[in-house]
This record gives sequence, structure tokens and C-alpha cells, in this order.
Amino acid sequence: MSFERHTLGRQLQNRLTPAAAAFPSRRRQAYRAVAGLTILAVLAAAPLLSSGYVLQLATDILTFVALAYSWNLISGFTGYVSFGQVTFFGMGAYATALMVLHTPILWYMAIPIAVLLAGVAALLLGAVMLRLRGIMFALGMLGLARILAVVAANWSFAGGAVGLTLPAELTPIAVYAGTWAAALFAFGLNAFYMRSGLGLSAMSVRDDEGAAAALGVATGRVKILTFVLSALAPAAVGGLVAWNRSFIDPASAFDPNMDLQLVVFTLFGGIGTLWGPLLGTLVLMLVGEQLWAYVPELQLALYGGLVIVVVLAFPGGIVGLANRFGWLLRRPIFAPRLFPAAIVPPPAPPSRPSGETILEVRDLSVGFRGIIAHDGLSFSVQRGESVSILGANGAGKTTLFNAVTGFVIPNEGSILYQDRPVAGLAPFQRARQGIARTFQIPRLMESMTVWENVLLAAQHGRLSRQALEQTAWALHTTGLAPMWLESIARLTPGQQRRLELARALALGPTLVLLDEVMAGMTRDEQEEIRVVLRRLPEFGVAAVAGIEHVISAIADISDRMIVLDRGKKIAEGAPAAVLRDPIVIQSYLGEVR
Amino acid sequence: MPAPEPSATSAALVVDGVVAGIGSLTLLHDVSLEVEAQAVTLLLGANGAGKTTLMRTLAGLIAPRAGRIMLFGQSIGGLPPHLVARAGIGHVPSGRELFPRMTVADHLALGGRLCAPERRAALRERVLELFPAIAERLRQQAGTLSGGEQQMVSIARALMTDPRLLLLDEPSAGLAPKVVQSVFQTLPKLQSHGVSVLLAEQSLTFGFAVAKRAYVIRDGRIVLSGTSAELSANASIVKAYLGA
Amino acid sequence: MLVLQILINGLLLGGMYILLAQGLNLVFGVMGVVNLAHGAIITVAGLFTFWFATHTQLNPLLLLPVVFVAMLAIGALLQRSLLEPLAGIGRKSELLSLMITFGLSYVLVEFGLDVFGSQYVSLPNLQTTWSLGGLTINEALVAAGVLGAAISGALQIWLQHTDSGKCLLATSQNRIGAVACGIDVSRMRCIAFAIGSSLAAASGVLLIMVIPLAAQTADSLTILSFVVVALGGLGDYRGAVLAAFLLGITQSAVGYYGGGDAESVVPYLLFILFMILRPQGLGRAVQAQ
Repeated sequence: MSFERHTLGRQLQNRLTPAAAAFPSRRRQAYRAVAGLTILAVLAAAPLLSSGYVLQLATDILTFVALAYSWNLISGFTGYVSFGQVTFFGMGAYATALMVLHTPILWYMAIPIAVLLAGVAALLLGAVMLRLRGIMFALGMLGLARILAVVAANWSFAGGAVGLTLPAELTPIAVYAGTWAAALFAFGLNAFYMRSGLGLSAMSVRDDEGAAAALGVATGRVKILTFVLSALAPAAVGGLVAWNRSFIDPASAFDPNMDLQLVVFTLFGGIGTLWGPLLGTLVLMLVGEQLWAYVPELQLALYGGLVIVVVLAFPGGIVGLANRFGWLLRRPIFAPRLFPAAIVPPPAPPSRPSGETILEVRDLSVGFRGIIAHDGLSFSVQRGESVSILGANGAGKTTLFNAVTGFVIPNEGSILYQDRPVAGLAPFQRARQGIARTFQIPRLMESMTVWENVLLAAQHGRLSRQALEQTAWALHTTGLAPMWLESIARLTPGQQRRLELARALALGPTLVLLDEVMAGMTRDEQEEIRVVLRRLPEFGVAAVAGIEHVISAIADISDRMIVLDRGKKIAEGAPAAVLRDPIVIQSYLGEVR
Repeated sequence: MPAPEPSATSAALVVDGVVAGIGSLTLLHDVSLEVEAQAVTLLLGANGAGKTTLMRTLAGLIAPRAGRIMLFGQSIGGLPPHLVARAGIGHVPSGRELFPRMTVADHLALGGRLCAPERRAALRERVLELFPAIAERLRQQAGTLSGGEQQMVSIARALMTDPRLLLLDEPSAGLAPKVVQSVFQTLPKLQSHGVSVLLAEQSLTFGFAVAKRAYVIRDGRIVLSGTSAELSANASIVKAYLGA
Repeated sequence: MLVLQILINGLLLGGMYILLAQGLNLVFGVMGVVNLAHGAIITVAGLFTFWFATHTQLNPLLLLPVVFVAMLAIGALLQRSLLEPLAGIGRKSELLSLMITFGLSYVLVEFGLDVFGSQYVSLPNLQTTWSLGGLTINEALVAAGVLGAAISGALQIWLQHTDSGKCLLATSQNRIGAVACGIDVSRMRCIAFAIGSSLAAASGVLLIMVIPLAAQTADSLTILSFVVVALGGLGDYRGAVLAAFLLGITQSAVGYYGGGDAESVVPYLLFILFMILRPQGLGRAVQAQ
């Protein structure tokens, strides 16, 4: 309900939406690269030339950098907050230690193998747990860390509660180097996500998982892959820490305080950003070093309090604050420097040997929490047709679209797309096969720019030259090119609707399902949309089905109208005839006396 | 549509130039209407025309972005919904919105919290007289009732708040004609108890029989208004509805 | 006879678990928030009870009403300052609330550590056992289990039979209907969290008589409570009762045959099992939030 107007809430909403950066020039990029590498080299070398204490501190900081970036990957990018990331740290520590103790495998082989094992574990865990809602996943991970701690404490082979003492073999320098490698790897993954189709897909899962699936994003695979990747660096540093300390026990391997720390560091720096984890870890660990000497008994409380303060006051963290001054802005993914001047029309969709019937619904029955939305509904949409679906109650008609796109499983009946049943296909598969839909209330990805919203649909899972061209073309066709780098919050309702259309077009669809696309639009906005709708056949769209209440806006662009009443079809035919049909009028108005 | 002259003495509700919407969408554009005191006023419109959006705005669930809403001269626009209820508006939402695992008696009791204690018992009796079907089912959980019974419970609950104005949002939705008839038969009785009613309906059949004045809403705008007699004889009402 | 012993222990344990869970359920049903600080509240209350009992030599059960009332005030304060600002945000509020209660739990744990130390403590008072026809019954467990079930039952009665309780129940079942009855939903959230916290504190007072507690293991109690709630179906009170008894009996049985450590793993294993097989829990499928 929108009546709860908390201004703080609105502020938070705005701050959670990072703005887009302007594209830096080539030369600036080169400067940045050189500066970055120089700093990196200096940072890497400095502790080596300093005292053992500094080296240890640097190693500790890097450990947390690696952990924070890994946590950022799963919790920040996909939005599936994991409170038990320390699980993989512990797994890495124990796997490494056990291998070194009981097999001839040496340290530097053991750690990569432990990383591999953690990855496999993450794969299995993710397959089970990422199907759950966000809360359940978060708590499941929390519980998992505890289970493993208990198991380790009771398994004599793993040293039980006392732990394992390991041969002291390694120099702090080697550990330092190894930790650097893990931190760079984790950072690299984040950087990769920041500019890849995978990262784009992950962010769409966070913003709106359902809409993402309707746009062809394989959300399940994206989540699991991200989860697996987020397990690797923690496992590596787990092994390294065990190495460094020559000792592990359940308490230190699955230390819940470590969990708290990496959550705080990332949140404070800016969750879901590229530099946030680094900044947060650096600042808090350096401050902490000084602070804990004075108030060791307040560490947990201060960290916990900081989480609360950050969430309430500046949920974007340091990077979020910087964004407001125009610094550290995220660069839009796969966006060219300038909007392409020459627009390449899309290639025709792959021609499937298809007949005249694009969509056929047979005897469809959908029951929804006791309400029968559809009761033996049958109709078809032929090639070249634009069919409007009117009447009945709002819920019923959207349920029809949900059944066609795979979000709802019908109780009875069947749906055929291009003469083949769609049963068994996941929503993202149906989208990739050419069924596109818009939503009653636009479901746009709020943390992405206009360009990225459309690119998400165009990429079909992989970024390519063609995806870029398709995106540019879709934006150009719907008149959104001038605002291609705007954030969603700045669009007018009419522009948002057109963006939904652009997204649908970018899929290269054969069938387009429009859900009340005219709702809430002014006359002018309606006309803008009609312009696009009339041209759909040009774009390779074979058939359009639209639910609509604003009859005046679509009567003249519909070939056929179907009127539903209480889940059944009561009229079908040319618009003029249907709108004069006494049965239809009665259904709308009751008996006119 | 020009705003009707606010006749302060006989208007239970005056809506003046209200603009409202959800998220970035504006669904109501400069809506003005008047609900006469102790009478039934009809709000007609097809699906998606804005009836429910208007009713929710009047009930306080949606905050208006512009315009005024005056209940017996008291401004209620912008108040949170529980205060709007306390000001004397009883809301019977479309979709009924009952408490599925609470009994019918509970619903009446919860509504009755807003009624002055000394009037409560008598009010309850009157309400149960109006809806004898639910009087037999006081111990039953609301989620197990039939559609018609649920609608009656929803209206009864709102009546128990002892409202001065009742917002009835599509009470006939999903109900068989006979059931609708029995529900609508209660409306004239409400009038005689001093309750003003704003009835949002899609169907003309029963609406015109009970209402004096009617407004037609389409695409979030009032496009027609007049007495029931005028509008029911007017052929253009079909056009106003379907917009075609 | 053995079976009876296991059963009785399990039932008593279950009685205690019900109390642990209902506070969490109430908060979730009305607010849609999972309170990660739940275990910390239980632990701090338990530690405080230990301190009280050992310093004043009074019966710790006397503390029950005091702690309950005190926590009402504290809980209300926490809700108003920390959680209410998030109420209007929409989809993201679930996870943000999770983070806030996550932070809160550590603040409380720190408090517990600083004031009460990090050692495991438990109350020796009621360690007497009765022998009843061949069965050994632990007095503390009886007190905890019976009181736990009683308090939880009182909660249910309050929810279903009093005016204020019904307002809360109504809010958790349908917000639009609730405001139509003039119910101030924001106030309901505050009350729900206050009572939820009080129930947690009350269960802490009882728990310290039965098992040892320490500040640093607070979150294992959160997980335990959450497991009961999740097994029962989030927000489902009857389901939680079933789940509590199921957990209690399973733990009792496993504990007998497998030892204490196997017993402590049972909740997590049950949780994982249910998440795979029946994510909606034992009760009905619940709230549309």
C-alpha cells in the first residue's frame, strides 16, 4: 500500500539507486590504468620492506578484502544476502589442513584443491538453497556455518574441539603473496561482474527476479554460478590463514564474528559496488587497529551499531555518499561512448517452420487460491493478428498471461506456441523462444540505466555486437535514444511504458503480450505507444495479444477482440461487432433499462 | 467536467479536483464529485476506469497528490486510512479483504470498536437483521464462507464502525445475480438509518434502482454526471463506458 | 518405558520451544520481519536471570514477570527507532530489516559479554529430579516446559479472545481490512515487536534453568527458534506448536541414542530436510505479505 509515506523511506529508496557515470575518455582510462598499477605495486611492496607487524596487518587486511569482495558478489550483486559466508572459509581451512596432514600433497597444491572442493560444495548447496526466498537463504547459510562448526568440533579426525596443529612451514611472505592473489582474484571477479552480461543478469536478479526471468535471464543458473564464484576466494584465504597460524579449530575456522566483520566492511563501503568492499575494509580495519587497543570490549557492539547506522542513514555506504558528489559512479555495462549514429535494423528472427497459429490456448483452467480465473478458455492468435482481450476482472486476465509465460501452471488445458506445447519450459526459456510480455505496472530494473534495461533483454545470456545493435535499435524505435543513460527514476510514466516496450522488442520476439499498456497514460502518451504498436509487424513480430481497458486507444488497431466474463469467453470477433454485441454490453453495464 | 457547486448543507462528501496514482502512474485526473447526505450516489465505470483507485483514495489508502476531500465539511484528504475510518468513513473494499482465519463475530467486533459503546449493541442487532444469513454463521471462519456471505460480512463489518459515509466498492463482483439482489436490497434501509453511500459499480442494473445521482468515470476522469433518471435514459452512456 | 521417557522429555522440551518460537512468529506475521536479535534477547535475559539468582538467592521464576514487562518497553523503543523507519519502503525492507536486527544482535551480545562474561552458566537451583514410576523427570525441565507452554497458550488466548489481541491478529491477516476497522497498523507493529521481544526474554528466564547459556552462542538460539518457526510455516502458530513438539521429541530420541552432540545438530538437519522437501512447513501455507 502506498499510503505509508515516510520521507526517510523515500530518501532511502533514492539512495539505493546509484546513478550512471559519464563515459571517460581513452586517455583518462590510460592514466587511470597506469596510476592504478603503480599504486598496486607500491602497496604490494611496502609491507615487505617494513616490520613483521605491518606485514601481518597487511595480510589481515587483504584477507578481509578477499572475503568482503566474495560476499559482495553474492549478496551485493544478486541480492541474496548470505550470512554464513564464513562457511567456505572454514571449509577451505579444514580441507587444506587435512590434506597436508594426511596426504603427501603439499601446501601450494592443497589450497587450490580446497578451493575446488569448496566450489563443488557451493554448487550442491546453491542448487538446494537458492530456490528459497531471500530470508530463508540467509538463515539457511547462517545455520550451515553452525552445523559445520558442530561437526568439526565432534569429528576426531578433524581434531575435534581442540583443533589441529599443523607443521609450521611457511614464511609470512609466501602467505602475504598468496593472500594478495586471492584478494586480486576476488576483486577481479567483481570487476568482471561490473562490466559483463553475467553481472548485468545478476543485478537484474536483485532488482526484480520475476521480471528478469520474463526477459530471458536464466536466473537459476546465474544465482548458482555467482554463489560458486563467491565461495572460491574465502576457501583460499581459509587455507592460507590455517597455513599462517599453523593451527585451526572450529571456533576460529567458523568464527561468526568474522561473518559480522565482512558484512560491516562491505556495507560500510557500499554493498554492490566495485570499490565499496575495499574502501570499507581499509577504513574500518585501520581505524579498528587503533580503536581496539582502547576499547576492546566494545568491538562487536560498535560493529553491530555501525550496521544499523549505515542501513538507516546511508545504505549506499561510502561509495553511495561519493556518488552524490559524482565520484565513483558505476559505468553502464557495455555502453558505447556515444549512442550509435547508424541504427542497424535487427535481423529477422530465426525462421522456425511455423504455421499460421502463433498462440493457441485450449480448455485452459487456472485456479488461484480458490478463485477460478479461467474455466475452460479456448482461443487462438493467428499470424499477423493483433488481438485485444477485454472484460472480466483484472486478476483473471493477467493470470492468463502468467500461464502463457510460465509464471503460473494451469490446472487443466494446454497452451501451444507455434504449434508446440509450452508445458515444462521455464519462463526464461519461453522468453528466449520469442514470447515477450509487458507488465501492468512497469517492472523496470531500478538500479540500471535505460540502456542496460534493454540490453538485458537483448543479450540472450551473452553480450555481443548484435546485442548492442539490437539495444540501440530498440531504443531508437521507441524514441528513447536521447535518454539512454538516464536512471529509471527520472523517466516519466509514458517513457517507462515505452521502455517496457523497448525491452520486449529487444528480445526479438515472435509473440508480444501487452498487459494494460495504456493504463494511466495521457492521450499523447497513448498515441506515442500506438505508433510503436502499429509498427510491430515490421519488426518481425508475428502476433500481438493485448489486455486492455482503455478501449478507445486500441479499438482501431485491433484485428479481433475477445471479451471474457467470469473466466469464460462471451464474445469474439471484429471490434465494431463486438462492441455492439448486446451480450458484451450487458456484461459491462448490466441490463440497460 | 466543471466541479459541481459545493452545497455545504446537503453534501456528505465533497471531492474536488483530486489527482492520485500509484508509483509513477497517475490514475485519477482532476476528479470532482459530490455524495448527497443520506442518499445513495452511484459511481459507474468499466474495469480499469479508476473506480477502485478513487475509492481507495477516499478511504485514505492512497494519498492524493492534489485536490481536497471533505467529509461533512471536515477535510480528510491526506489522512492515514485508520484515521479516515475514525472520521466516519466505512470502507467496503473490492475483493472484500476479510480476515480469513477469524470468525464472523470477530469481524463484527473489530468493526464495532469504532462505534460508541452505548450504541454498539443496538447497532449489532440492526446489522444482523439486515443480513440474517450471516447471523447464523457467527462462529464460522470468514475464509470458509461463500462469496455472497463474505460480501455481506464485509459490509456488516463496515457498518459496525457506525459510519456516516459508506464506500461500497463493487459489491456485486463475482456474485450470482440473486445474491447481488439481496445485497442491494439492504441499501435503501441504510439510507433510512442516516448513512450516506457512495456505490462504485460496473453493472447498471441494480445501481440505477437505488441511486439518485450517478457519475460515470473513464480513464480516471469523470465524463458524465446526472440523476439516475437522466442517465438511464441516455444512450450515450454506453459510449461513455466503452469509449468507442 | 524408555519410549515414554523419551516422549516426556521431548514434550517438555517442545513446550519450551513453543515459547521460543511464538515471539518470532508474531513479529513475522505482523511485520514481515525476521528478528535476528531474537537469540540475543533470550540469552541476555537468561544471563541476567543467572546473575539475579546467584546474587539474591531468590527464586529466578520471580524474575519472569519483571523481565517480561521491562522487555515490553525496551522492545517498543527498539521498534520505533530502528525498524519503523523501514516500514514504508516495500520490497527491499525485508532484507534491510534483516540487516538491522543482525547488527542489533551483536550489540546485545557485546553487552552480554561485557556485563556477564563469556563463560557458560546455568542455574543449579532446580536440578533436582523426581522419580515417578521408573521415569526420571527433571524438575527444571518440567517448570520450563509447562510454563513455556502456558505462556504461549496465554498468548494465543490473548490473540484470539481479547480486543487488542484480535487487532494484532487482524493486522497480520489483512492490512486493508485492519485499517478499515480503524486499526493503527504502525502501532500494531510496535506492539508485535514489543511482545515478541518480551516472549523471547521470558523464554530466556526459563531456558537458563535447563541448559547452559553463554553470550557468544546467542545466534544458535536464533537459529533454533527460526527452525521451529520455519518448520511450522512462517507465521503459522499451530504449525509452530507441531514443529516444536516434533523437534523436542526428535532431539530427545537422538540425544538418547546418539549423545549430546548429535542432539545439537538435529535442528539444522531437520531444517535442511524440510527446506528440500516441504518449504512451506507443517502448517498451512500462510501470509501473502
